[in-house]
Amino acid sequence: MSDTQIIVGLEIGTSKVCVAVGEVSDNQVVNIIGLGQSKSRGVRKGEIVDASLVEEDVRNAIVEAEHMADVEIRSVFLGVTGSHMRGFNNTGVHPVVSADREITDTDIQDVIRNAKAINLPSDHSVVHVIRQHFSVDGQDGVLNPEGMLGAKIEVDVHVVSGRYNRLQNPIRLVSGLHLEVDNIAFNGLASSLALLSTEQKELGTLVIDLGAGTTEYAIYSAGVIKHTGVLAVGGDHVSNDLAYGLKVPLGRAEQLKIDHGSAIIDPEANNRSVDLSSDSVIPGKKINLGHLQMIMSMRLQETFELIAKDIEQAGLIDYLRAGVVLCGGGARTPYITRLARDVFNLPSAIGRSSTVSGIKNALDEPEFATPVGLIKFGAFQSQTAPRREGFGRAIRKQFASLFGGKK
Amino acid sequence: MTDTSAKLSGGEPVIRLIGLGETGVKLVETLAMIGPEGVESHTLDTDNRSLSRCHQSQTMLLGQAIPCGLGTGGDVALARAAVESDRDRLAKLVEGANLVFVIAGMGGGTGTGAAPLVARLAKEAGALVVGVAATPFDCEGTRRCNQATGGLRDLKQASDVVFHFSNQDVVSMTGAETSLNSALDIANRHLCESVLGVSRMLLEPGLLNVSFGDLQSAVQGRQSLGSVVHVEGSGEGRAAAAVENMLAHPAARGGAALQEASAILVHLSGGEQLSLAEMNTVTEAIKQHASAVDLVVGASGPGRDEALQVTVVIAHQVKLTEVEPDLSAPIDSQSSEVANVSFPETFMPSGETSYVGLGEDSGGSRRGGFAYTPPAPTAEAITPELKDSLLEAAARQEPDRKKRKKITQEMLPLEIVSKGRFEKSEPTIHKGEDLDQPTYIRRGMVLN
Repeated sequence: MSDTQIIVGLEIGTSKVCVAVGEVSDNQVVNIIGLGQSKSRGVRKGEIVDASLVEEDVRNAIVEAEHMADVEIRSVFLGVTGSHMRGFNNTGVHPVVSADREITDTDIQDVIRNAKAINLPSDHSVVHVIRQHFSVDGQDGVLNPEGMLGAKIEVDVHVVSGRYNRLQNPIRLVSGLHLEVDNIAFNGLASSLALLSTEQKELGTLVIDLGAGTTEYAIYSAGVIKHTGVLAVGGDHVSNDLAYGLKVPLGRAEQLKIDHGSAIIDPEANNRSVDLSSDSVIPGKKINLGHLQMIMSMRLQETFELIAKDIEQAGLIDYLRAGVVLCGGGARTPYITRLARDVFNLPSAIGRSSTVSGIKNALDEPEFATPVGLIKFGAFQSQTAPRREGFGRAIRKQFASLFGGKK
Repeated sequence: MTDTSAKLSGGEPVIRLIGLGETGVKLVETLAMIGPEGVESHTLDTDNRSLSRCHQSQTMLLGQAIPCGLGTGGDVALARAAVESDRDRLAKLVEGANLVFVIAGMGGGTGTGAAPLVARLAKEAGALVVGVAATPFDCEGTRRCNQATGGLRDLKQASDVVFHFSNQDVVSMTGAETSLNSALDIANRHLCESVLGVSRMLLEPGLLNVSFGDLQSAVQGRQSLGSVVHVEGSGEGRAAAAVENMLAHPAARGGAALQEASAILVHLSGGEQLSLAEMNTVTEAIKQHASAVDLVVGASGPGRDEALQVTVVIAHQVKLTEVEPDLSAPIDSQSSEVANVSFPETFMPSGETSYVGLGEDSGGSRRGGFAYTPPAPTAEAITPELKDSLLEAAARQEPDRKKRKKITQEMLPLEIVSKGRFEKSEPTIHKGEDLDQPTYIRRGMVLN
């Protein structure tokens, strides 16, 4: 057998810590061989608030994954998120200096270096710089300019940045567990990697990861990442709204959300009610199903509307010809695709990790898109042959140097 | 028209109907044809064609410069621009009105875009603003429906109360087999009844009067949805029939709307034979559903004798303001002969009319308290000082009126919404909105 590489994706989410173990053969085929998860207790809105609890949860999940995959996990690719993260586009320019005006690999490296020189607030640092398209002397949409003739070469990149300290928190925590962090990746990016086919990326797709604490979204068009964003609103907010509106404890609200939730209001639900009398904490209480659905649908609709507004501002709403793909625990809400279709006016579906093989369970569940995507991200990273993949796969080289320290 | 009616009745509330967009124009035109006396009708549109069909109301073309009378074609921004360009004319239109009905169909361009702005202008001019909105059928497309929802939300924020009727309700009411024409007819009739019912309630001379003040305290500053149920019952047990019709009415939702209400105004008109028992039947039926609300009951004497007409105004409260106890109601009902007096001073029509009116009926009514009441003084009675003080008082009257009105403006939300598990986490602020608070509270939805 040719040597296969073990790549591990770790997502420290608001509701669960999830580890996926993947086997990557030398021809870049990813096969999921292990999965571990544990309930997350120390995370709010995607960021760690209680390190000792999180440490325990991560350890449990890692152990479970090790058992299942029968490997020893030494290093992980870590997913990061949080309201502090930003995505924006930047351009680098470079004049071609050689006498014959032929663009060489050095020119390409230089223009990328220029694009990476981003003016960020001092406490921010770059997580990703993703190459989009080159343009040579104003000719747009050049995929690979090497060997072309030109006087000036430009490159558009998509940059994801975040607060340095808040990015370091999970890295330090994982390092404290004697695990090496190979690299970090933005969760929204990772899940889109897991879910989208090359065709979807070419046509233009919006991926929304409806997590418990945060909602991340990423837009692909013409094969490259155009826009990313994160809202610190998620399933926890739905539960909290229900707990407040229906006057039930949070845990009970969470259960009601899972059992009776719906993303759209069923006109017949108004007359129905859920009997909570079997519940020992609040005996004899009845909950109006119409109210439950209204509270929930308003929150989810608002979340989608905020995303829609952001995309509209970015001018990308007309480029999404392949529609909307949903993932994350929130994608389990009944009728969520219908709500997304109504808000975005686009076809929408729940995403499946179709581009990898392995444990069926891990691929079909929308919750596992991020850890699976992290493995894919890792597979791209560890790819030795540079830039032979074609641009359909938007993830290019990562610039890990900023986190070179990785204590 | 108002001038004369105000003169004659000595201070009826000035009610204006403003119809916006094609649906609004149609509705107001219908209302102007059948409407009660003393209501001014104005139709406004960006489309010349729809205005040219109006004969009963005063028409005004919005946006002479921008859409040039060709309509907005569903573009809300264009409608807003048109309103902005005609701001001065619109401000004049709503000036001096006590109650303004802003009537529009949501989903298109003009109605959706202009109605909230016109409502805001009317509110700034000091009027009580009642929005009347129709929203489209579901089958008219998502875009139109979304636009309608947004417009309705804006209108709700700009008005005191919005009476909303969804065309889709007609479908659920009568079934999908109904012809489009009759479905629209039903929707239109319902909206017209809302306006007619309220204006009749305020304008018809009453045995037990429901005054403008009652309506005001029920709906002002609520920025909420309300509904009007207008039903008739005739024959032997006409009260029971009316109650049955009332509960079957789509706006009452089988009594659920009554349960959610924060204030209810009931007005009965049943001619000479209107009996106490009938009143009792109706109010008891309402109380059964809504035991703890402000209930104001009124009744008018003359009317079509055979039928008992019941108008119920249901106001839903968004928990933003404290409900003020309605003290004026019982006083009004006792002094039914001096019905006009119950109309609060603050809502006296301004300008010359009121002065003339005051001069005429200064004998003993409450308005005797005004500074400018005495009949024209004789030459020797006017000293320069007296003249000055009178002028001063007259000059002060206008700002005073405004100041007093300010006091009755709505309050800021006092209730602090707990953020539950996000209490201690970093707040998620998006464009000034705290997203940690439940969406339904920020959008003013009511749970009963």
